[in-house]
Amino acid sequence: MADDAAAQRQAEIEAETEDLYNDGYFSDTSLDLNPRYPKLKESFETAIVVLNLPKVPEAKVGKLTKVVMKIISRLGNLASNEDTGFTGFVMPFNAEAGATEGFAICEYETPEEAQNAVEVLNNYKFDKNHMLVVTPYTRAKKLNDLEEKEFVEPERKPFVEKPNAMSWLEDPSQRDEFVIRQGNETVVSWFDGKADPVVDYDGEREKEAGVNWCEYYCHWSPKGSYLATLVPARGVILWSGSTYEKVGRFVAPDVKNVLFSPQENYMLTNNMRYDDEQAIKVYNIQTGKLLRAFPLFPNNIERKEDVPPPPFQWSHDDAYLARMGKDLISIYSTPSMGLLDKKSLLAEGIHEFQWSPKANILALWSPEQKNSPAHVDLIELPTRKKLRQKNLFNVTNCSMVWQNDGDYLAVKVTRHTKSKKTFYNNIELFRLNETGIPVEMLDMKDAVMSLVWEPRGSRFAMIHAENPSSTKVDVSFYDMMKKSESTGGKKGKKSAPKQTTIVPELNKVETLSGKQCNCLFWSPAGSTILLASLGDSASGTLEFYNVDNKSLTVKEHYRSNQVLWDPDGRSVATCVSQPVEGGHFKFAMDNGYILWSFQGKQLYQQSFENFYQFQWRPRAKLLSKPEIEKVRKDLKKYEKQFEKADKERARAQYLEETKGKRLQRKKIRDIISDLRKLRREQKARHVEMLDGYDSEDESNYVVREVSIETILSTKEEVVN
Amino acid sequence: MRPYLLQGHERPITVVKYNHDGDLLFSASKDQVPCIWRVENGERIGTFHGHKGTIWDLDPDRFSNHLLTASADATVKMWSCETGELLKTFVHRGPVRGVAWSDDNKLFASISDPFVEHNAKISVFDSRDGEGIDGETIEPVLEIDVPKENNKRVQMTNIWWTYLNEHLLVAFDNGLIRLYDPNTGDIEDEFRAHEKKINRLQMNREKTMFITSSADFTSKLYDAVNLKHLKTYTTDRPVNDAVISETKDHILLGGGQEAMSVTTTSGKVGKFETRFFWLVYEEEFGTVKGHFGPINAIAINPNGRNYASGAEDGYVRLHMFDKSYLDMKDPVPEAEESSVDDDADAE
Repeated sequence: MADDAAAQRQAEIEAETEDLYNDGYFSDTSLDLNPRYPKLKESFETAIVVLNLPKVPEAKVGKLTKVVMKIISRLGNLASNEDTGFTGFVMPFNAEAGATEGFAICEYETPEEAQNAVEVLNNYKFDKNHMLVVTPYTRAKKLNDLEEKEFVEPERKPFVEKPNAMSWLEDPSQRDEFVIRQGNETVVSWFDGKADPVVDYDGEREKEAGVNWCEYYCHWSPKGSYLATLVPARGVILWSGSTYEKVGRFVAPDVKNVLFSPQENYMLTNNMRYDDEQAIKVYNIQTGKLLRAFPLFPNNIERKEDVPPPPFQWSHDDAYLARMGKDLISIYSTPSMGLLDKKSLLAEGIHEFQWSPKANILALWSPEQKNSPAHVDLIELPTRKKLRQKNLFNVTNCSMVWQNDGDYLAVKVTRHTKSKKTFYNNIELFRLNETGIPVEMLDMKDAVMSLVWEPRGSRFAMIHAENPSSTKVDVSFYDMMKKSESTGGKKGKKSAPKQTTIVPELNKVETLSGKQCNCLFWSPAGSTILLASLGDSASGTLEFYNVDNKSLTVKEHYRSNQVLWDPDGRSVATCVSQPVEGGHFKFAMDNGYILWSFQGKQLYQQSFENFYQFQWRPRAKLLSKPEIEKVRKDLKKYEKQFEKADKERARAQYLEETKGKRLQRKKIRDIISDLRKLRREQKARHVEMLDGYDSEDESNYVVREVSIETILSTKEEVVN
Repeated sequence: MRPYLLQGHERPITVVKYNHDGDLLFSASKDQVPCIWRVENGERIGTFHGHKGTIWDLDPDRFSNHLLTASADATVKMWSCETGELLKTFVHRGPVRGVAWSDDNKLFASISDPFVEHNAKISVFDSRDGEGIDGETIEPVLEIDVPKENNKRVQMTNIWWTYLNEHLLVAFDNGLIRLYDPNTGDIEDEFRAHEKKINRLQMNREKTMFITSSADFTSKLYDAVNLKHLKTYTTDRPVNDAVISETKDHILLGGGQEAMSVTTTSGKVGKFETRFFWLVYEEEFGTVKGHFGPINAIAINPNGRNYASGAEDGYVRLHMFDKSYLDMKDPVPEAEESSVDDDADAE
């Protein structure tokens, strides 16, 4: 009986178990070892908050959601989840007020999309009355958590006078300054074009404090107000005033170069790092505030290690900062550093652009594309009006050269024949100072290696040769203006006195053939040009040529790799320098610089073991052309005055230098005169010793005239 | 500047000296025969025969009447300058290194080297003693024995009387300079001027300053009254002789590679040249080349128009200064105040 009961019990349990199986409490399938949970997002980087939406009643929520969704979904994929029904968009509804709160939160799939949305949508005009404000969620959260405090007016800082950045211009002898980087030294010196350079400041204050005021390169600002020294560990330091006080420090780790705006309001630092999203920083110099940072490459351009990043360029009046991107130019206007009119300047296929040095005009060129020819455009800003377009065919390459007053633009066009085997050059010359901007074309059969405009002039010089690799080249000079001598009045009428008129017509001045040079350097004062053969393999020949009076002086600075004119064309420096980073040993030989007068006379020479940099202090040109002419006319008058001052200065300097020696001499003279005095006192005793003989007593001398006859030779002659 | 080459000696020159008036030049050499030259034209006027050893030093008196010569034959001889006649012989105990007339031209002092058992001695003679008879012995008025120092015999190289015969100024080969009292023979003062041998000591005409020349490549200028060091002139060769110009603030140095190593050096390397220094600034501003052995003796005419140098090569070169030298001005400009005249001659 007991057995039956037990069997029954067993059957019951089995049945129960069966049920449990069927209910699914137990499973045969093994456990998943790596379960796939949805990824847990630990940050809110993908979320953004859209503010300033209209506040709408419940009835219109659907419509508003639809409109906003349309906008935000264009900029990326929303993080919608079908399982949870989350659309990636939340617009809170305030039931009490019966309307939306006026903001929404949306989430994208990636942080990049979110960031892009913030950039694009911020300040987006949603409708007439609503301009959207979009911030990343993290920032919105931070703002929300921010404690509200009563506003306390910050205390006004006492006025601290900044050093006078123009003090160096007040130098009574109008000397120029230059800075050199050599070994660990950075030295600013005066140079008057005659005597040896005089050190102005060599960082002694910093040396005393045990720091180096420059550890990399240094740069003058465009008007010479500041000296920027680069200390890669800390950033850029600006120095100014007669004592070179520190007037600003800008954080820029690993900084490699700086770019001042032409009016010295802003400064751009660059560390050339491909991986740094803030490789390029734009600072306001006066306030020291960071205005904006950029990565080394624009977002839409393909990054290639071997292609240098497109450079930023300032417009002449500091109003714009521009950089080329793919098929566009991004123009940022100061001081907001926002895109001008919120959009880039479209330029299909753009290859290169350049600001005019004196106007807000951009010159750009783009090569041939599908069915449009290559073209050079001149675009005015901020109107974006196309002033001139010139179409070109069969173009291989172009390079644009502005004259420094912005009066002319030369475009050197390298063209190929149909077969694309042979190349030839022509030069397109734009006259911007005339209505309609006429363009002239100069055909060159030769290869043109270099083209430079005479500063403030209408002439240009170029190096050309039949074969670009030949050692002997020709240098030609052209003038955009032609002096024509016309007899006044029309033909047939009585001849009037000859009149010289200047007409805008391109004409050739002359050609110097068989020269050895690869670079041309006009003097900033014009007229004089230095034909130089620079580089390691070149001869270092320097030819100083005056285009007006055709005088030529040939000099040499072996292995020189740089030619630098001082800002007023008085003297020129040639350097053999090496990169700060070192590099090949071949750079390290013959380092140093030579200073020449503009006529080619060597004035000063100095050698260093490691010479890195030479830079003249620029000075703003304040005189207009007619004023300069006037000064030239009255030169004689000034000359005398200056020569006198020079002489006096030289004498004063010599007196100063020999001060110590004069002191020594005075000491010795005093001793000698004391001793003489003593001897005079003792004289009586000495005379006594010599039995009364006094060498100063005239009576002791007997003056006798002695005539001595000497017979040189005797000769006997028989007299008939 | 083309010098007169005075070829009268056959062995290295030891000393050259102008007389007080600067019209006569005396020279002595190791060939035992001193010579007398006319400065004006470089003509030899006469010779003095009688010594049997190197002439180390000579001194004409104030009036160019008598000449004293000091010789390695242990005698000092007094000669008549005019006739060349030997007047008297003063016998010493060892080779005589130097001789000097006193300021009154009556006494003279000489220094003799240590010889056999004798120490170095300073002797003061009265030139009026003795009859001038052959073989007579003239006793010195005073004899100062200079004992050994640290068991080493000392040698004197030069002797001078200071102004008014106050002291005897003696230079030593160990760099010492001593002042002796000429009456008692006591040492009055002593100091070390150089680390090495003092080759020569020369006073200027007024005896206000003296200059030493040493093998340690330097010359030093001293204030002769207060014995204060004033200036040091440094060269790169031993200095054998130096002289203070009477008319300009110049110092003339002569020297060169040591005589013993001359055969192994060329004239260029030996630097056998007269060097001109600024007295005040201690800087060299010119050299005169010409000798092909080290210069042993140098003298400048009191009138500043010429100078003579005698060298190991046996030649005396008499240089007449060019106008450019005579017109030369101090390179350091005078300050606002007018320049001090410094062209007054001595006495």
